[in-house]
Order: sequence, then structure tokens, then C-alpha cells
Amino acid sequence: MPKQLLIDPAQVLRSGDVTFRPIPVHSYDIPFATERQARGDVALKNVLRHMMIVREFETMLSSFKSTGAYQDTQYTYKGPAHLSIGQEGAAVGAALALAPEDHIFGSHRSHGEFIAKGLSALMAMDADTITQMMNRHDGGKLRDTVSKAIGTDNLAENFLLFGLLAEIFMRSNGFNGGMGGSMHAFFAPIGAYPNNAIVGASAGIATGAALRKKLANAPGICVANAGDGSTGCGPVWEAMNFAAMGQYDRLWEDKRKGAPPILFFFNNNFYAMGGQTSGETMAWDRLSRIGAGIDPRQMHAETVDGTNPLAVADAVRRKREVLLRGDGPALLDVECYRISGHSTTDTNAYRSRGELKLWEPYDPITQFAAKMTDAGVLTDADVQTLRDQVADQICTIVRAVVDPNVAPPIDIHSDPTLIGDLMFSNTHIPQPDTPTDLTQPVEKSAALRTLDRKARFGLDEGGAPLSPMRTLTLRDGLTEAILHHMTHDDSLIAYGEECREWGGAFGVYRGLADILPHHRLFNAPISEAAIVATAVGYALGGGRALVELMYGDFIGRAGDEIFNQMAKWQSMSAGHLKVPVVLRASVGSKYGAQHSQDWSALIAHIPGLKVVYPATPYDAKGLMAAALSSNDPVIFFESQRLYDQTEMFQAVPKDYYRLPIGQPDVKRTGDDLTVLTFGPSLYQAIKAADELADTHGLETEVIDARSLVPFDYDTVLTSVKKTGHLMIVTEACERGSFAMTVAANVTRFGFADLKAPPRVLGSPNWIVPGADMEGTYFPQAHDIVDVVTAELFTAKKTNWRGVRCWDDLDLARRGL
Amino acid sequence: MSVKIVVPQLGNEISEAEVTEWLKVVGDTVKAGDEIVTITTTKTAIEIEATVSGTLTEIMVPEGELVEVGAVLGLITE
Repeated sequence: MPKQLLIDPAQVLRSGDVTFRPIPVHSYDIPFATERQARGDVALKNVLRHMMIVREFETMLSSFKSTGAYQDTQYTYKGPAHLSIGQEGAAVGAALALAPEDHIFGSHRSHGEFIAKGLSALMAMDADTITQMMNRHDGGKLRDTVSKAIGTDNLAENFLLFGLLAEIFMRSNGFNGGMGGSMHAFFAPIGAYPNNAIVGASAGIATGAALRKKLANAPGICVANAGDGSTGCGPVWEAMNFAAMGQYDRLWEDKRKGAPPILFFFNNNFYAMGGQTSGETMAWDRLSRIGAGIDPRQMHAETVDGTNPLAVADAVRRKREVLLRGDGPALLDVECYRISGHSTTDTNAYRSRGELKLWEPYDPITQFAAKMTDAGVLTDADVQTLRDQVADQICTIVRAVVDPNVAPPIDIHSDPTLIGDLMFSNTHIPQPDTPTDLTQPVEKSAALRTLDRKARFGLDEGGAPLSPMRTLTLRDGLTEAILHHMTHDDSLIAYGEECREWGGAFGVYRGLADILPHHRLFNAPISEAAIVATAVGYALGGGRALVELMYGDFIGRAGDEIFNQMAKWQSMSAGHLKVPVVLRASVGSKYGAQHSQDWSALIAHIPGLKVVYPATPYDAKGLMAAALSSNDPVIFFESQRLYDQTEMFQAVPKDYYRLPIGQPDVKRTGDDLTVLTFGPSLYQAIKAADELADTHGLETEVIDARSLVPFDYDTVLTSVKKTGHLMIVTEACERGSFAMTVAANVTRFGFADLKAPPRVLGSPNWIVPGADMEGTYFPQAHDIVDVVTAELFTAKKTNWRGVRCWDDLDLARRGL
Repeated sequence: MSVKIVVPQLGNEISEAEVTEWLKVVGDTVKAGDEIVTITTTKTAIEIEATVSGTLTEIMVPEGELVEVGAVLGLITE
């Protein structure tokens, strides 16, 4: 299926100018009296009060960090406190224009955004909804705790502030069970989604969540809260581009047209920790300028006065309308000076007292209080009363939260694997069976029809191998599982580079573009960070995502998104969030050092990711179906050398089936030694096993690991009990590989059965060479035979045929 | 004059393909550039285009058959 958009040289090469419209800077000019009339005094009073709550809450944290006390409460708080004192106008102003169904995603400096969003949501929600929300959270236990410790007056607000502070203090009844803490706190029912300790990380996640809102026809918008410093982060640019891709308007079907409703809200406090953004570390003069670089709509960018909550509310309201029309994305540069330090260890060495003094009159709270008193809404005494009441409220919350009987610390000692048990939900969806809307029936796709004609086993009746054109390949196994899920699970979308017309760089999606609408299967920009981050956001928003990186070597481009986001939100939310994302990563071949690495060990090292690496069509189909059903994130490795691999071990059922992730499989039985393989090494081991049997009289049991995480050792330990010898073959570099982990564990748990230490045969600790030299790099069958005969069964000793007769200890000494 | 419809070179490692769909029937008038037949390798589907304008006069390989690079699939008579 060719491209629909014509690149016409007559158009492209025509002379002209790229033009830009002016970007408004501080254009807000609504008189206070008009705002007062429109919003009413109660609402304005709440704006002031909410800013005071944020200020007092953070002042309290600051006080604990610097003096170990707040008012009459002593407490040692060991965690971080990145405060936004001075920036309250931005948070409260934005929340004023947001509805409960709008979802905000924050940064490490987002206590204020959380509190403001929560307070604004409580004002917008009716009493029943609030009651249900409190009843539903942790079975109503937190509500009971708060009402018992603090009383039932103002229960919802106190519930909100207690849950947040308990979370910050890592208490078991914090909103995220104490697993998130200050920089990651969230509470989804009020529309406050995860805050993120990685600068700018919310940009991609919020974009994915907005895409989910769009495709699920869910109400509201998503807001990516970030700082000005995050505009130096590549993934933020990737996210903005992803949010503004041309295809939403030009290629997606009519009822799906329009960009995801995402607002990039930059809290511009002029400092990226100690680096000054405008003038020093960034190229822009005004942050809003970058909107013009993204799309023809210039992201509707504006610079807004963040010291005035009403100016912020006005801007957010206008952007929200644009976004709900599908006319986004939008960008706001919200200038708000941070009075406090970056963190409580900040000595303010990078800014002058004079500058701090200059900003004093622009304190959003004193400014707004003055407007209120000038207009006669409040008296000075009223303002002071409000301030005192807020301080009392925070003080009450604090007293309750520091009390271990009210907010118990997490008791790791009584449950040592408590955190471990949060890493995976180990749950899955039932087999999806509701046909989704297709652009045409599956049978109309010639490419998909070929699957039906193929033999389900790779050998003919006489035992001769069939052509991969005539029998199912590993690629086909993947396609069949993906086809079932894509045509029966509307919440699942698939994207990545070249996924649509090309069918994926290696053809796993061939034919799918014939039947799936654009919004279910689309080409992503070459933005690995955005691909993974948006998938995470899409999943946090309730969808399921299948994304791919083309080459596993590009994992580095999505490092944070895989290692910190995809892997961690399940556990950092104490199980409140699920991340059903499958990330396909192919292990290359023939392309040398940057396109042929097996990085499975890198991924297996990260807690929170399930890791799969099948080597046969049967396993590929069953494990892909399991991965797509899993509510835990899965990294799915595929070897490019195996895409055309036919099935040599058992027929591949035509019907849908799943295989358990984490269960190794015995592919050949034998009594003399065990060879455990990862990925394509299976076939070298089978070849070696044939030779060892024929030439040396040794019967080899070959076990295909199939998965790295989880990994059921029983299969290997049972085999070793029988054979006493274990060799582990992997294409990953030996140093730090998962094979080394398995070797260590089998040594420990199977020591009594071992006749010799397990031997790992991996790739050497240097770059993957070019195509012609690959055979000297990835372990081959003759290398396996070399090691078995030279080291494990020395009586069988033969001459080394491979190049691996090197001294491993000497290599290690040389860093190799 | 008859011009052969030939399976093109498909890349270093791919030597065979399946004829998956004839997009024209014998007797159809075709223009140079028209897609005539789809072939599928293990990895991708390829539409083979007419190199000349004329009439499709012969289909030599039916759908579902395997063919090698260079094989003649049919004839177009100018």
C-alpha cells in the first residue's frame, strides 16, 4: 500500500517564505473587576486560599528539611523537597481552568500542581462523587484514618493533603503506599497523574495519555507540567513533535482527525537548577518561541504571567478550548519566579540578593491578596485570618502524619519482599474476542491470506525442510498473535518506525495496513524516546500499546523511557497503575557494531520489566500473545536472523494460544550435559548437540530459555541434576550478561549436582564486527563443541576450531 | 511484440517469492506503470508494474505458486 500524500516537486520547489505569526507575551488585560464579576468572590477567595495552602505546605516541608521541625512538631524527613515557593500562581491558576477529568502529569517540583489540581477538583465534584472517591481508595481506610485523626470537617481536603504528605513521608497509607514519595506522588481520581523525577519525562507520557483520551473518546485534556530547563531535553522535543504530527489531520480517518489534547505547560522559573535558561543554557530568548519551531500552528504558544493566577487561568481556558477541538497541541510559557532554592541544600550561590529582592513585589500571594483588599473583597484582617486558618490546617495534617499510629511507616521487616511483590501484577486480560472495526476484512489482504496457506510445521512428511515461503516462520508466528490482538482488542494500538506501509522494517506487520485504520497502526517519527514514553502514557490512561524500536541498539535512545518509566510506574504507584506495553526490539545482524548487539542483559538488569526472547515460531506466537495480554510491561526481543526461521520442534496451532512468560523449554533431551541457550544460540546448540552425539558419543540436553525475566530455574536445575554439566550460550557479551547470573544461581542452587562449574559461552566483550566476521564473534556450533571437549569432557579433547582459545582472565585484566 | 513480466531482484538473501494476487486478468488493457501482480516474500509484499502499455496476454504462474528471482510470470503484448 503506497503513501497517500504526494510529494510534488512543483509545490515543494516553489520559491517563497516560511512565515510566523507574532507570539503573544503577557497579553492578559482583563480588569480585576471583570474577573470578579465573572468568577464571584467565593471563587477568588479560594484562589487565594489555595495558593496559601500550597505555600504553607511547602514551607512546612522546607522547615522540616532545614530545622527538623515545623511549628511544634519535630520530625526528621530524609527525602527530597523540591519546592515551588513563589510559583503558586501558575499551579493554582492552571487548576482553576481545569476540570476534574483533565489529567495533569508533573515534575519533581509538583507538590503545588498536585494540591492545586486536587483542591480545584474537589470544588468541581459533587458530594457523592467525592464520597465515592474516598470510599474507593484503599477500601475507605484512608478516609477512616483521616476522619478519626483529624475529624470530619473539611474531610475531603484533609484526605487530599494527608494522602499527599503521608506519601511524601513514605508512609504506608500515602496515596501510593509510600512507594512514590515527594517527586512521584499522584492521585488519579482528582486528575493528578504521576509526577516525575526525570526532567521533562512527563512530556511524552502526557502526550500518550492524551492520545488515549482522544482514541477512547474520553473527556478532558492532558497537561504536561515541566520546567523551563526541560526544553533542553531531547525527549521533550520528541514529545512535542509527536503531539503535533501531520498525520492526525492529513491521514487519520475523519472521525479520528485532530491532534491529541495535550498542553505543554512550562513553569518557567528562569533557572534549570543553577543554570539560567534564557541567556545562558538555552538558545531561546522567550521559551514560547519554540512553539514556532514545531508546527504551523506554532503550538498556539504564549508567554503568560505566572505570578498572576487569573492570567494563567485565562490562558489555560483558551488553550483547553483549542485542544478539545482537536486543534492542538498547545504550549504555555508560564513565567513564575522560584523564591525558594532548587532544593533545600540550595545556597542560592547562582543568583544575587538584588534579584531576589526585585521579585518580592511579584510574589503571587501578596500580589493577589493586595488585589483582593484593594477591590474590597477582603480586608487585611481577613487575609491574615485566612493565612492563620491555612497554617492551622497544615499543622493538624502534619501532627497526624508524623504519628506512626495514624500513618504507619512501611514495615519492610515484617514483610521483606513487600516492595518486590509490587514489581509485577502478574495479571492478564482474557483472550480478546470482540472484533474491532477494520477498513476491510482480513481475507481481503493478500499478504495476510498467505498465512492460511502455509504449513504449520517446518518439515514435510519425509522430514525434509520446507521453504519459509511454504511454512510458518517466526515472523509469521508473531504476525498471527499480533493479528488476533489487533483485530479483537480495540484498546490496543501499534506504532513505531515504518510500521504501516512498510509492514515494519522486518515485515512482522505486513498486510496489517490493509485492514487496520491509521489510528490503530501508524508510523511514528524517528523518536525512540517519544515512542516508548507515549506508549507508557497511553497505557497509564487505560489503553494497551505495542511499540517497536526497530533495532534493539536504539534502546539507548529510549533509555529513560524504558528504564525509569515503563519499568517503574507499576511499583512506584504501589500497584495503582498498570503499564501494559509490549516493546519489540530486534537484535540485528550483519550491520556491525551499532546495529547487531544483543542488549537483553541490559534490560534484564532493570527491575520491573519482563523480558522475552523466543527462537521458534511456536514460542514466538505463544509468547507474543502472552505479552499482549500481560498487564505488566514486556520487552520482546526478536533476532533478525530468525525471522525466516521455520518450525523444527512442533506444529504451530492455527488457533490462538499463550505460553507462560518465564518458562524455559527443553528442546532436545540428553543425559551427559545441559546447554541452556538464549535466542538464536538455540540452533547452534542443536547443531553442536548433533555433532557431540555423532562424534563424541555425548548426549546433550538443550534448553531454550525463551524468557529472561521471570525465569523458572527448575527446568535447568532438574536437567543439571541429571547431567551434572551446564553450559550457557548467549549472543550477549559475556561480561555482566544474564547468562552469568544464571550460571551463578545454578552454581548456588545446583552445586551438589554439578560435576564442574557452569560455563558461559557468550560473545566477547568488544564490538560486533561486520558481516563477514560475525562467525568469529557470535558463538557457533563448533565453538560449543570446542568448549565441551576442551573443558567439560577433557577426555574427548580435540583441536580448537574456533578462535576462542583465549585466556579469559588475561582478557578481563585488559578490560576485555 | 510481447514483453515478459519478470520477478525482480529482491535483495541479497531473498531468492523466492509467492505469487499472491493477479491484479489483472488475461485480456485486460494495461498501461505502463500499472500494478499487475503482487508477489510476497517472507518479509514483504511487492507489486510488480507493467513496463509497457498493451494487453495482458498470458498468465504463466497462478496465484499461490512459488517463483524464483528472474522467473517469467506472464506476458504483455504491446
